[in-house]
Amino acid sequence: MAALPLREEETGWYLYGVVASGADLPAAAGVDPREEVVALAEGPVAGVASRVSLSEFDEAALAERLADAEWLEQKIRAHEQVVEAALEGGAVMPCRFCTVYRDERELRRFLSERGDALADALARVEGLVELGVKAFAAPAPSSGEASRAESGRAYLEARRREQQERQELARSRGEIAAQLHERLLGFAEDSVVLALQSRDVSGREAEMVFNGAYLVADRGRFEDGLAAIARERDDVGLELTGPWPPYNFVPEELSRP
Amino acid sequence: MSTDLQALQHEVTLLELVDRVLNKGVVLSGDITLSVADVDLVYVGLRVLLASVATLEEQQLAAEVAR
Repeated sequence: MAALPLREEETGWYLYGVVASGADLPAAAGVDPREEVVALAEGPVAGVASRVSLSEFDEAALAERLADAEWLEQKIRAHEQVVEAALEGGAVMPCRFCTVYRDERELRRFLSERGDALADALARVEGLVELGVKAFAAPAPSSGEASRAESGRAYLEARRREQQERQELARSRGEIAAQLHERLLGFAEDSVVLALQSRDVSGREAEMVFNGAYLVADRGRFEDGLAAIARERDDVGLELTGPWPPYNFVPEELSRP
Repeated sequence: MSTDLQALQHEVTLLELVDRVLNKGVVLSGDITLSVADVDLVYVGLRVLLASVATLEEQQLAAEVAR
């Protein structure tokens, strides 16, 4: 009996990021570890991509997959590993998670349409890395005076004092953030001030008072600078992350379809 | 000094990664891309995950303290 032909699984291309055409591409396992990650060159740029099953990454399947925390973490980490490996070979413009093309021709068409903008963006971040800096301060003390007030007037006065204290705290935190950012700018080529994460999201006791990303040429100098600031300031805890691919330094024109 | 340690701690939390790969990066109008609603879904899914990461870290911390 003749063997039934295997039903060919429909595949697409998952795009991790874009590098300069001809750049080194160190090996890394992709979102589907069975598939090789390759560089698809198109003019001055190359898409770092690997084949994926469309039954796993199709729109219909995605909604279900996205609710699967384990799947998500695995794929997000794989995405990052490929981009970081590419970063070892040279400048990278990282793509957003889950950028999938149904076929290679479509992928190449988009690379060619955005080729010049991508090449310019790559030239701008060549030799630079993104570093993240966050500052944390102890949470605001709550006196609870107002809730213990015995008269309406005492309550109102306590409320007013608490409000003033809160405003003072916000002002002093704003100042800390501004001073920190100002000094770090001296060690960076470019910067972005990011939204603060709430304590619910960060899962920490301390409150975030600053969150920034810096595009840095001399990492040692930036880290020494940050360590010097950390020694001077006992009012905030500083945290450094990275080096990251330059996610926060993708030009605006490439951040929308 | 602990501040130094904190400053130079290269800890890559999943959250930090998620904020970058989901909200930043090149959008090349792929055939299939995440919609805003999808990104919300991811955060909903991840909250479960992050909660379990936090629990794990607490357990590790508790184990270290107990040692």
